[in-house]
Amino acid sequence: MKYLLLVFIGFVLFFSCKKDKVGYVPTPYELEIPSHFPQMKIPEDNPMTVEGVELGRHLFYEKKLSGDNTMSCGNCHAPANAFSDPNQFSTGIQGIQGSRHSMALVNLGWNNFFFWDGRSKTLEEQVLLPVRDPIEMHETWTNATKKLKADAKYRDMFYKAFGTTEPDSLLAAKALAQFLRTLISGTSKFDVMYKYENGLPLSDAEQQIFNEITVQQWGGYDLFKSLNGADCFHCHNGPLMQVEKFSNNGLDATFTDLGRGAITGNPNDNGLFKVPTLRNIEFSAPYMHDGRFATLDDVINHYSHTIVMSPTIDPLIEFAFQGGVQLDAQEKNLLKQFLLTLSDEEFINNPAFKAP
Amino acid sequence: MAKINTLGFLVLGTLFFTACKEEVVPVPQEGPAHYVKIEVDPMFDTEVLHLDSVYNTQEGYDIKFSEIRFYMEDVRNGSTQLIDAGLFDYRARGTVLFRAEGKGSDFGSLQANLGVGAANNHSDPSAFPSESMLNILNANDMHWNWSPGYIFVKVEAKVDTIPDGTPLFNHNVVLHAGLDPNLQTLSFENLTWTTTGNDDVLRLKLDMSTFLNGSQVIDVKDEPSTHSAPGQEALTLKVMTNFKEALTVH
Repeated sequence: MKYLLLVFIGFVLFFSCKKDKVGYVPTPYELEIPSHFPQMKIPEDNPMTVEGVELGRHLFYEKKLSGDNTMSCGNCHAPANAFSDPNQFSTGIQGIQGSRHSMALVNLGWNNFFFWDGRSKTLEEQVLLPVRDPIEMHETWTNATKKLKADAKYRDMFYKAFGTTEPDSLLAAKALAQFLRTLISGTSKFDVMYKYENGLPLSDAEQQIFNEITVQQWGGYDLFKSLNGADCFHCHNGPLMQVEKFSNNGLDATFTDLGRGAITGNPNDNGLFKVPTLRNIEFSAPYMHDGRFATLDDVINHYSHTIVMSPTIDPLIEFAFQGGVQLDAQEKNLLKQFLLTLSDEEFINNPAFKAP
Repeated sequence: MAKINTLGFLVLGTLFFTACKEEVVPVPQEGPAHYVKIEVDPMFDTEVLHLDSVYNTQEGYDIKFSEIRFYMEDVRNGSTQLIDAGLFDYRARGTVLFRAEGKGSDFGSLQANLGVGAANNHSDPSAFPSESMLNILNANDMHWNWSPGYIFVKVEAKVDTIPDGTPLFNHNVVLHAGLDPNLQTLSFENLTWTTTGNDDVLRLKLDMSTFLNGSQVIDVKDEPSTHSAPGQEALTLKVMTNFKEALTVH
């Protein structure tokens, strides 16, 4: 009798404590945020996971997302070019070229709007558009996800990331967004300069970099920040070297591309485009929304001499009335020396960002 | 043997009662949170001011404001702080200066800085909590790193200085005031809060006509620009004192 009771209690104990079946729980991904950067806001419905980031990396370089399986996001956003395109305009699968330069992808997790005209407010929303754009990858998400589902590798990766073997566009977008949030650049010479001037502690390695910063680079930085020098800081500022705004930077008197104005319908926004980060600018040529300038020298010359007035010109370009800030040859060289401090080789060569 | 059985019962019994013990779930506090909200209504004299709309200055210029922003920091009633900082950004956030947990009845008067006090003004802007308006992501271009610190008041406009009937808004006005010596203090007394739902709301008026024509006139044709740089001290201080005058309780 006692044994029966013991067995009974044992059964009760065993079954009463059995947990509910638990679904797959992916591994949290710890972002490495540079100490002088603000925290990144991660959407509650798309937490960063190791499996999600890895899936996103595969999708970023996956040519099946295009209509004829020849093109991936990485085609127009190459790591060696700061995730931009060395061509003025990227060519889509139909051989059609757009009218805007491919934007560099860096520190996107701190951005609140995307594309040159800011038409997407989240990364998850943004990554959906190039796939179905007729002049880019020209594929429906229905077809794209069918192709992914037919691939055992992706069924496995979607399961590991999201607990399902049924890929859909929203999950693909989440994975791509997770990968893009890992593209953090914060280890350039400029970062050491920024930390130094803000009284933030430098590590031993940073101290070594600090010692290598030249007088010319510091001089260029002074010009960059000077109201009566190059006056760049109004739009390129802070640890991210970017102000989140739209600006008409005096490229044209009239606009063939309305930019932000085409989205808002507000004439005051005509000719305004998203201000890009200057990080890794050495690698992201050509420059401007339409890639009209091939070199950094061209860009510096524009802000020095060829600014054009128009009704919506950014009021912060205060020397527009005289064509620009009128830097001389020596100043231009100093400014360029500073701009090169924004190069982050560690970021450019990071194997975690490259094609799997 | 009997002792072993008894021991076995005791062990199993203990396991039975302790192993499946559920975690204590905290009981949620009852009642919705209550908030204090301050809204700022930009005006031009008696008219509601809209960005990019045309108003006429006392000098006869037509003016279109494109940006109006300011920091109100360390908002408190005596020793009770309501919020570390509010950032008014008419274009981006409309009329809301801030919304913080609290009750209007606790804030019959308010004191605050117009701008950002020295302690916060020179702190690492990335280190503030992400919800703080002092965090660099929220401050955005309201923070300088050429002269580390915040822009306290930012007013930008386009002006037609030639009253010939042809609208030509080609005269830019850029007034960016900051730096510790220009910090102003604000004090609002005998406040009446209006309750809407869970919010106790206080409305302030920001009269941009008073801003231009306060105790010291800002002639936008002759004084169109300050970045609070050396040599611009007089206009910078004028921007701050006039802005303070322009900001009153509705």
